[in-house]
Amino acid sequence: MSIDPTYAHPEALVTTAWVSEHLSDANFRIIESNEDVLLYETGHLPGAVHIDWQRDLQDQTIRDYIQPEAFASLCARNGITPETTCIFYGDKSNWWACYALWVFRLFGHDKVKIMDGGREKWIAEGRPLTREIPRYAASTYPVPAVRRDSEIRAFYDQALVHSRSALPMIDVRSPGEFNGSVTHMPEYPQEGVLRGGHIPGAHSIPWKQAVNADATFRSAAELRKIYEEDLGLNPGSDVVAYCRIGERSSHTWFVLTYLLGFSKVRNYDGSWTEWGNRVGAPIEKSI
Amino acid sequence: MSYPPKLSGIIDLFSGLSDAEKRETLIAYADQAKSQEPREGEIFALEDIRKDEECTDTVAVFLRLDDQGGAHFRVTLGPQVQTLTRAMSSILCKGLDGISPADVFEIPSDFVPKIVGAELVRVRSQTVYYLLTRMKGIVKVWLQRQRSSALADQEQSED
Repeated sequence: MSIDPTYAHPEALVTTAWVSEHLSDANFRIIESNEDVLLYETGHLPGAVHIDWQRDLQDQTIRDYIQPEAFASLCARNGITPETTCIFYGDKSNWWACYALWVFRLFGHDKVKIMDGGREKWIAEGRPLTREIPRYAASTYPVPAVRRDSEIRAFYDQALVHSRSALPMIDVRSPGEFNGSVTHMPEYPQEGVLRGGHIPGAHSIPWKQAVNADATFRSAAELRKIYEEDLGLNPGSDVVAYCRIGERSSHTWFVLTYLLGFSKVRNYDGSWTEWGNRVGAPIEKSI
Repeated sequence: MSYPPKLSGIIDLFSGLSDAEKRETLIAYADQAKSQEPREGEIFALEDIRKDEECTDTVAVFLRLDDQGGAHFRVTLGPQVQTLTRAMSSILCKGLDGISPADVFEIPSDFVPKIVGAELVRVRSQTVYYLLTRMKGIVKVWLQRQRSSALADQEQSED
């Protein structure tokens, strides 16, 4: 199956077949990022490196992402230069791949793509996996001057202003999390959220609406129906997306930014684990 | 309470490993998870098949008692179950094999961090304890039924 050419940026996606033909291409670095912390070690695409969303992308003390120096170091030890095109894939319909891609964009690494369908599709097609850990010569990656938080990331205060201004806000969690009947996603443990519900004014569009059963993204026409026709957004809309910790909403951020060409989408990564615990934060319930 | 010998052996194996070696060894145990599934002809005292919110797929736990009263576990895991849970299913089926149900129920869970390491416990606290909780749960039901049955027998003999 090919990539829908009517996506705003079809070049942001590559097929599993394309990846299989470019496994050894030095211009690309294939990066696996998963929910399952041990999955990479059980088998991965030949030549793929592993970037763990917690260990590699997050500060281990403060709740925040790594700083530019650590990002440069991460890239250097994986043989990535600013010219390397990074192709992300992973489990859970590419949740964590989108999350890792979004973090790379925070540091200005714009040469990024997603392998459509992720691990599920690669395995379903019977393509090879290996347990061999690739070793790449360390590269030189200049320390990014800044982390571009202001461009694609929203913080609590900004999300609050967004909510009070009745600007578009998408809650991508499951319906039960949105309406306040549960404080965690189905099949996952309760990870310390004290209140259930959603940010006032947020619209419920679960991330899963954007993917097909085989973990590939839905067509541009189907996505436009969801986000533009039904929700009333347009590519110029100022959108904030959030979920529980920012991983599912980075999937929606990718859909809006790359597949529909929205120019101003921010991921509120503090998400419900911040909002639902914050003293005095306004909450709506719909039950 | 001390750990049963087979579990102690596994704890000892992990305790000398670096974090990277621990992960490798966990993968090796995860690879063996399929061999812990029920075998043809086995008869179980209890079966507990369910899909909990704490786990990403269905997990079935089977309890068999041998003639000496030793407990033996079999586990079937759905395809979406995470690697760490697969590893723990192998470790626990082997480590708890043959000890009494009461001893299974009493085992402290403090051995888990010694096996998987503090880091994995920190990031996956629910996952690493999930299967032990399920095994203790099925044993608890079995023990309660045994007590109820003994009580009924006692009352009958007194009538």
